[in-house]
Amino acid sequence: MGSGIAQVCAQAGCETLLYDVSQEFIDNGLSRIRSFLQRSRARGKMTAEEEKQILERLVSTLRLEDFRECTLVIEAAPEQLDLKRDVFKKLDALCGPEALLATNTSSFSVTAIAGATRQPERVVGMHFFNPPPLMALVEIIRGDRTSPATMEKAISLARRIGKTPVPAKDTPGFIVNRIARSFYNEALRIFGDGQAEVPTIDRIMKEAGGFPMGPFELMDLIGIDVNFAATQSIYQSSFYDSRFRPSPIQQRMVLAGNLGRKTGRGFYTYGEK
Amino acid sequence: MAKNSVAIIGTSRLAEELFQLSRDKGFAATLHPDADGIAASASLVVETRAAADKKKKEILKRLDADLPHSSVLLTSCAGSPTTRIASWTARPERVVGFASFYPLQEKRVIELSAGLRTQEASLKEAENLFRTLGKEPVRVKDGSGLIFPRILSLIINEAARSLDEGVAQAEEIDVAMRLGTNYPVGPLRWADQIGLDEVLAVLEGLQQETGEERYRPAPLLKKMVLAGWLGESAGRGFYSYTESKVTK
Repeated sequence: MGSGIAQVCAQAGCETLLYDVSQEFIDNGLSRIRSFLQRSRARGKMTAEEEKQILERLVSTLRLEDFRECTLVIEAAPEQLDLKRDVFKKLDALCGPEALLATNTSSFSVTAIAGATRQPERVVGMHFFNPPPLMALVEIIRGDRTSPATMEKAISLARRIGKTPVPAKDTPGFIVNRIARSFYNEALRIFGDGQAEVPTIDRIMKEAGGFPMGPFELMDLIGIDVNFAATQSIYQSSFYDSRFRPSPIQQRMVLAGNLGRKTGRGFYTYGEK
Repeated sequence: MAKNSVAIIGTSRLAEELFQLSRDKGFAATLHPDADGIAASASLVVETRAAADKKKKEILKRLDADLPHSSVLLTSCAGSPTTRIASWTARPERVVGFASFYPLQEKRVIELSAGLRTQEASLKEAENLFRTLGKEPVRVKDGSGLIFPRILSLIINEAARSLDEGVAQAEEIDVAMRLGTNYPVGPLRWADQIGLDEVLAVLEGLQQETGEERYRPAPLLKKMVLAGWLGESAGRGFYSYTESKVTK
């Protein structure tokens, strides 16, 4: 997701530094950005000159020290709390006091991540949605010690990169991941109880409910593993509130490797993969 | 022309909409707040009360006693399984459940359920009615709130809890859900359109049926229903609608 966020920033005209722990990861990220921009150009959404400028604004690095001069750092490391806390501890020591330190975490408390720094007032959540170049929303998460000035800055920076910021309190799942759980979990419950089959539930949610996609189609698109992990994370961080209890059906599919579209098989099958 | 007569019972927006829709499709439709004055000739009765309360039970008992035995009774199973509602009558064979939320206008599909003792002929007749109204009926197994009302009510319940906990403001929650997950309407605005009492009825029905904490209604939702803040129709719900009414 980091490369998608970097692309958004560079497209908005910001000088953008893309960091990762290995050249291979950086190259993968940059090639994803290049192919996205190529497709945009092919569709006539940007000129060759614009594409060139965006790529010129993107510089990659393997050295965290290079963030010393940045005014905003957005962390999108893998979802491991210790790893994130370590990154923030380093950034806090490196970056000037004016710099904003943001985490793109969806599973952890911003307050917990900020706890690793000496200046938790400047730590904030900036939660992007996948894929960042296409999704307009950024949840701006206020940790317990995030200062009002930091919130304001994060909100205006999100606007500056063309996104719609929505401020939210630091609570499990924030707004979207929490409220959207019912869409998936209750559909799984209804299916598990034998009340209706998967295609019937999807059809009803689209044609009686007006949702653009049914819950099972959407889980197949997102990835059953990704969706299951999101549910588990909220379930655990709410100390096992039964409203968020994950479905055994989903767990079985994850263990079997039936992860949705990306593996060719999920709630539906998608041809040979 | 008894075949073409339908009596709609209820006071909700959904009842009014069903009444209009039936008229538009050429039925001799009548709208009644309760079981009083239902023409004995009505071959089909659509009872729309979501809450499975004492009042609904009284209405069902009256209808069952007053109507000819051949009349099919369509009833909202938003707040209770059809089997329970049918058990209040002497002829459960003719009771068919349906569940939906206002507005029906853009909905292509409507959910129906048979109680354990519902006859196939009654289901067929209910299906024909909805087809004539331009809605494709889909049968699902009996349960409180069926599928769409059940899932949406849980989404709204979680949104109401988030609001009450101060996670974000109503408008922010709605914007986030529309932009973050492409919902057609934000859940709190959606609740205002449907009517908060209808949403509460679905949650209470599920809670009663399963005994599970999962379905416990948000305290804010309960309070708002008690306060009469039912949404658009009442001028106030999660949003206020009085100003726009004045400007109309």
